[in-house]
Formats: sequence, structure tokens, C-alpha cells
Amino acid sequence: MQLSPLALKQIKRFKSIKRGYYSFIAICVLVALTLIAELLINSRALFVSYEGNWYFPTYGSVISGKTFGLNYDYETNYRDLQEVLKKEGKGTVIMPLVPYNPLENDFREGIYPPSAPSSKEKHYLGTDSTGRDVVARLFYGFRIAIFFSLLLLVCNYTIGVSVGSAMGFLGGRFDMIMQRIIEIWSNIPFLYVVIIVASIITPNIFTLMGIMLFFGWMAMTWQMRTTTYKERSREYVMAAKSLGASRRRIIFNHILPNSIFIIVSFIPFSISGGIVALTSLDYLGFGLPAPTPSWGELLRQGTNNLEAGWIVSSVVVFMIIILVMVTFIGEAVREAFDPKKHTTYE
Amino acid sequence: MKKLILTAVIFFTAQLFAETLPKGLKWETNNSDSVYASPNAKKGGTFRLYMKSFPMTLRTVGPDSNGSFRGFILDNYMGLTEIHPNSKKIIPSLATHWSYAKNNTTVYYKLDPSAKWSDGKPITADDYLFTLDFMRSKHIVAPWYNNNYTKEYDKIIKYDDYTIAIVGSKKRTPYELQLANGMTPFPKHAIKLDKNFVKNYNWKIIPNSGPYLISKVKKGKSVTFKRNKNWWAKDLRYVKNRYNVDKILVKVIRDDNVAFEHFRKGSIDIYGLTIPKDWHDKSKVKEVEKGYIQKLWFYTDSPLPTYGIWLNTDKPIFKDINVRKAFAHAMNIEKVNKTILRGDYERLHTSYTGNGKFTNTKLRAREFDLKKVDKYMKLAGWDKRGPDGIRLKKGQRMSIELLTGYSHHRDRITVVKEEAKKAGIELVLKEMDGATAFKSTLEKQHTAVWQGWSTSIIPGFWQGYHSDNAHKPQTNNISNTDNKKIDSLIMKYRNTFNWNTKQSLSRDILRAIYDEAVMIPTFKIDYYRVGFWRYMKFPKVPGTKLSRSTFEAFGERPWGTGGLFWIDKDIKKETLTAKKAGKSFKPVTLIDKSLRAKN
Repeated sequence: MQLSPLALKQIKRFKSIKRGYYSFIAICVLVALTLIAELLINSRALFVSYEGNWYFPTYGSVISGKTFGLNYDYETNYRDLQEVLKKEGKGTVIMPLVPYNPLENDFREGIYPPSAPSSKEKHYLGTDSTGRDVVARLFYGFRIAIFFSLLLLVCNYTIGVSVGSAMGFLGGRFDMIMQRIIEIWSNIPFLYVVIIVASIITPNIFTLMGIMLFFGWMAMTWQMRTTTYKERSREYVMAAKSLGASRRRIIFNHILPNSIFIIVSFIPFSISGGIVALTSLDYLGFGLPAPTPSWGELLRQGTNNLEAGWIVSSVVVFMIIILVMVTFIGEAVREAFDPKKHTTYE
Repeated sequence: MKKLILTAVIFFTAQLFAETLPKGLKWETNNSDSVYASPNAKKGGTFRLYMKSFPMTLRTVGPDSNGSFRGFILDNYMGLTEIHPNSKKIIPSLATHWSYAKNNTTVYYKLDPSAKWSDGKPITADDYLFTLDFMRSKHIVAPWYNNNYTKEYDKIIKYDDYTIAIVGSKKRTPYELQLANGMTPFPKHAIKLDKNFVKNYNWKIIPNSGPYLISKVKKGKSVTFKRNKNWWAKDLRYVKNRYNVDKILVKVIRDDNVAFEHFRKGSIDIYGLTIPKDWHDKSKVKEVEKGYIQKLWFYTDSPLPTYGIWLNTDKPIFKDINVRKAFAHAMNIEKVNKTILRGDYERLHTSYTGNGKFTNTKLRAREFDLKKVDKYMKLAGWDKRGPDGIRLKKGQRMSIELLTGYSHHRDRITVVKEEAKKAGIELVLKEMDGATAFKSTLEKQHTAVWQGWSTSIIPGFWQGYHSDNAHKPQTNNISNTDNKKIDSLIMKYRNTFNWNTKQSLSRDILRAIYDEAVMIPTFKIDYYRVGFWRYMKFPKVPGTKLSRSTFEAFGERPWGTGGLFWIDKDIKKETLTAKKAGKSFKPVTLIDKSLRAKN
């Protein structure tokens, strides 16, 4: 694919803004890591060799304890298996870095959760109030939050950009009516609706997305409307029109590429907005159903158990880091795509 | 002369129509049970506690009156009789004697002629007649009360100013009659019942018959109760040495954590610590370590609320009794108790625990046991497991939705859920707001529900387990239990008026319900725990079998549990001076099991 000289220039400019660029790389790496989270943070072993057979339990189906000569039918506890096999010398078990999954409760004799960070137990950030590993919950929570907000972003922008462009391009009565509709729509209190819905049904990730989409698509319309309005009167649009291009073609093939910088510079802020929205809903208890790992739920546990400072501090620190990095990216993108730097006005 | 004749005529006609008491009544009273207040109690001082919101009205009936503050007001209205909180027998209150008619519906009462309203007017038969009209009146805008007083009471008969009979509309055993027919009168002379009642009485303080009356209302901030120094009942056998503090100040503090800080500072006197986390962690503060604040753990012997998981037998998956039994054996309640509840809670074994001989103490809840799960699941054809470890039968996964309105039990439920995976059962949590969850269970939409039900001193089974209430919405038979044996036992239970038979039938019914495996009992908490400033004093046995706290300011009626404590002024002074000087006392944690039920 051949990138236009303008795009290359923009990318070069983006790369030159160091903190934004490095944040971008860091976030990409993190997101990539979440895709293989099961290999890093999991109660299932990466590899088991037992009586000459090799097992890779991570992605497959449940392997019953009986397979390894243990006396139960349910899923093998690989941490215990590791101990057992070490003692008996019958095989080896390789565990992930953090050998816990985000849902399991790790109770120990005489210790009541939450328990403090300990590298010996491999609870590097301690456990929460039901004995679940904080690292695991943070990381899996991040995976849900980031993909949630990416998906939300795509949906929001698809609707918002289409409607906004249509308003700007068509103008007139359509524009007028849509403006009023959006004004009224945006006055519906978002939080109340969520509370009401959450009390009637248990929200899952899709209903939550639906609700957020229901209230979120309006934000982009205003930006797109003004941009399209402006672009519509440019000469290249006139030219396309006189060549007989259809409305859809003009909007999506001509105007949109020329207003892409608006969309791009909003993306990072929408992502952080999505994460914050999901976290705060979970914090208030109207978010994803228990026991889904989530930052908001961790934050709530943390504030309810202030004496267990490791819960609240890990989630707050991690959240600040992520949100600050996203903001850095946003800044850099905005800077790199700044039309004043690249556009020459006739 | 004319006037005299007229008076005489009226007098005689009145005599003609006046009811006469049936002959041969056997009057009962109770002046021989033990006294449970302390003779060392001292009067005086102000007791300070908190409520989470300010009441919307001071009326006890009608719109907006159904708040927690209503209890404070109603507890200061006495009933005809009360229940001794240790012997659980009937004791006199506004009535000195009572007698039961043979028809199992009527109780006769001799009223205490010395009983007076707080404004000095005597309490007479007319007040009872008025109360019945009042509770049935449209003007109070309280349909539930209207209906209840119409349905439960047939009539009240006045024989003279101090003798009445209350006729209930259902046949009951004597004890139940006392509970159901016993009435709390309101003062006729102080209430004007008309269409403006609801509006006029929002903030009006009506004379009462109890120990305290509201003396000051700071709207939105606090309510002060003041002790009635000339209270008519203050020297009665079971009342003497109770209700000792002069003033009770109830402050509005909207957040429990803030209230706890107030408690540490000493601006409220007590704080409930029953929850394990509060007892073990929250109370680890310097005021406790220095001995200014002491802790009490008191075991009671009272009917306990039933916490449990109810299975809806109308759902295809729970039609099979073997699945229900297997499911019960897959719920690891023991682990929850042992871990996140720190071993403070115990396993509940049956509903209606703590009801004395009504309780079947031989029942043992089905314990977590994977072998038994396998056994019953095999009988039901669920012995295969899918690739995710969850059981399969003809392509269907054993995934069961567990509904709950108890968001504060989320920790417990997630532990149970994780453990159930071992048994090959996937629990899908459905958490709803409390009222919605309850509504959804009454409509029988749940598959399994995690709930708690309040209890009563005499068990009632018809609503919860009779087939009359199964398979239809808006009834309490949330498991849709439909079993002929249980039905016939319940009908026998309802139609017997013999106390012993009734108790033994109750045990049989509980056993039959257990055999049906429709309900999995979870938690038993037969105690309360409380932190208090060391100047708060109480009797040697710090509570009664029915107490909810040693520091119940008034006590819920008809249980005579209130006002057992007092404030020692000298110790208060000593404590506050010591606190200022930084001096410490020996930390005290009292654990009292002297009244605990043995089972």
C-alpha cells in the first residue's frame, strides 16, 4: 500500500512526539499481551508432562484430576499438581507467571482475605476480599475494558459520523430536525436509565454497550456536521458533483477522507472515556455482572477495605498510567494531524 | 323531675343493651416469671444513637409512615399483654388478667385501671373500640391496615370501662390468639379522625402509654425522646429498673462509616458489630485498645430468619428430586462460613430454627459432598461432563441461573459459584435490586433464588409450602412445592388447637419439606455483637433470649426486651477524663453464651 506523502508526513510528525509515540507502543504491547493473557496469568499450567505424556492445558478443554492420578473428577488444580509431581518425581508442570485465574478464590488456612502482596504465594499485588488475585483481576479487567471501549468506539463513530455528515451535507430541514432530536436525546439522563435497566435485568457486556451506544453516538455528530458543512462548499466537492457523483460517493469517498483528522484526533479520548464509563458503572454496581473481573469492582472493594491498601492503590495506579498514556497519544495525534501544519489554503 | 325520669330510663335501657360477661371465666395472669432487669440500674443521662435517614412523618399509619423510625414511636405504645423475653410466656401489660373462651376465637381482658396516657387521662375500653374504628377507617389512607383489621378482628365487646373481649375472626390456639388479637390502643381523646387526618397529624406528637415521648424534633437532624417521670407502669414487676436513661437522642447520620467515626469520638454511645469484618477489623481502633470502648458478643435464643437457596420445582431442571438433592450437596456453604465469614456464622439446618419445640433439631442440612453429587446426578442421568467440566445431558449443559437481590452477599455467592464448578454445575449469577428480585421470585420466574425470609414465633407453613399456593404468581410458595403428604400435614397443623400436637406436627412438616429437597438452608446467626462506651452498663446477663441488642432503647413489642441498660455518670466522667489525659483501661471483650439455645 502506498501511503500519501501527507500521511507519511503525519506519521513522521507523530513519531517525533516522543511521549505520545512511546505511550502508543506501550499500549499496543499491553493490548497484544491481553490477547495471550491465558498464557501469562492463569491457573491452568502451560505444560504438563506426566508419565511420558505431554499436556498443554491452557486453551483446551478441562482436564479432570483423575488424568493425573488425583482423586477428583473436577478440573485439576495445577498448583497442587506441581507440588505433588515435584515430590513424587513423576513429571513436571510449568505454570504461568501468575498461577491464578481471575475467578478462583485462594483461601489458606488461618488467613482471611484480603491478604497482602506476597511474592512467595505469587500474589504479587495481594488478593481481594474473596481471596482472588489482584493482578489477575486487574489484567483481565483491562482486557475487557479496552476491548469494550474499542468496540463501543467503532459503533459510536459509525453512527455518529454517518448522521453528522448527512446533517452537514444535506442541510436544510433534515439538519434542522436532526439537531432538535439530538438536543432532546442528549438531555435524557444517562445514569438514571442505566440504573433503571440494571435493576430490571442483569446487564451483560452487550446490553451495557447498547445503552452506552444509545447515548454516546451524538457526540460525534456535531463535529462531523460542521466539518462536512465546511467541506461541502469546497471546489473538489463541486467538481465531484458536476461529474455526477452520488451523494453517498461524495460523502464517503471525498468529504470523509478530508475530515479524517477530526475523527482520528478524537479516538484516544473516546477510548479513555469508554474505559472510565465502564469503570464507574461497575464501581456503582450497575455494570457487568459478578464475578466478571473489572476495575470498577476492584475500586469499590478497595474503597470498602481501605485497610487493605494494596487493592485500591494497585487499581488506581494502573488506571492512572493507562489513562495518562492514552491522553499522551491523543495529544500527539492531535498535534500530528493539525491541519494548520499541512494544509495550504488557496 | 322530668330530667330524673329521663336519666333513669336511659340508664335502664343502657343496662338492658349492655353486654354481660359470660359466667365461669377462668382469669389468668403471670406474676411469677423471673425478673430480668438489674436492681443496680441508675436513672439519668442521655443515650445517643443514630438513624440513617430522617422520618418523613411522625404518623404511624398512612402514606410515608412505613419507615424504620415508626418502630421507635410504636414501641412506646403498650399492648394488652406482652411476652416474657426469657420464658416466652404471656405477661401482663395494659391488661392485668385475661381469659380464653372455649370457641378458640375470643380473649377476655381485665384492663389495669391505673393505666394512663402520657397526658394523664386514663386508658379505658373506649380507646380499644376507637382503635379498631381508627385502623379500619378510610381517613388514615392505609389499605393494608384497613384490610388487616377487618380480616383479623371480628369485633371488640365492652363490658365496662375496664373489661373487654376481643373476638378474632379465625380460630387459633390461646398463645396465637394473644399475638393476633392483642391490640395496641391509641388515645381516643387526642385523635380527630376526619378526611384531613393524614395532613394534620404529620408532625403532631400524640400522647402514648409507653416510657418515652418525643420531646424535640429538629427536622432533618435529630429526634429527642424524653422519659415520662410519672409513667404509670414504671413499678410493674417486669418493667421496674428498665428504661433508665432520661433522654434518648437519635441523630441522623447517613453513612455507617461516618457514624463509626462519631462513635469513636464518643458522640454516639453504641455501634453494631455483628458483621464479621466489623467485629474483627473495623473495631481495631485505639479507643478499643485503650479500653474506652468495650465489645459484647451475646448469644440469643430467638426464632431466626431463614437464609437459604430456594429451588423452583416448576422449572424442568428441578422437577427431578435427585437433581435437587445433588444441587444441595454441591453448595459449599461450609467453605463460605469458614473462609470469608471467618467461622463466625454457622450452617443453618432447617427453616424455623430457634422456635423451641416447633423446630426439628434432628434435621441436618445437606453438606458439600462431591461423591453424593455424583451419586444423585447419575440417578438423574447427568453423569457426563462436557469439555468445560460442566455436566451434560442430551446436549443440555447444567447451567443454572441463581437470582439474588442481596448485593452485599456477592462475595459469598461467588465462592459458592466457584465451588459448584467442581461438582460440574455452572451457576450464573443474576443480581437485581432487592425489591425487583423479590417480585420476580413471587412471580416464580426464578430457577434458584438466594434469599432470606423473616420469621415468626409460631411457624406458618401454608403460605410457603401448601399446593394451594403452588404454580401461581404472587404467593409465597416460591419453590412451588406440591406434595400431598405435606399438604395433609399442613392442614392438620392449621386445624389443631392443641399446643403439643401442633409442635409435633411442625417438626413433621419440616422433615417432609427437608425430604422434598426444595430449599437449601445457608446461614445461622444466633447472636448480636455490639461495641459500646464503657460507661454503658447492663444487667449481669446482658440481654434476654429475644433481645436484638443489649442497647434497645425501647424494645420491639410485644417482646419486653427494651431499656435494660443504664448510663453510669461517674464512670462516664472517669472515662472522659482518662481519654483527655491519654490514660488507658484494660480492654474488654465480653462473650456471653448463658442463654444460647442448645442444639
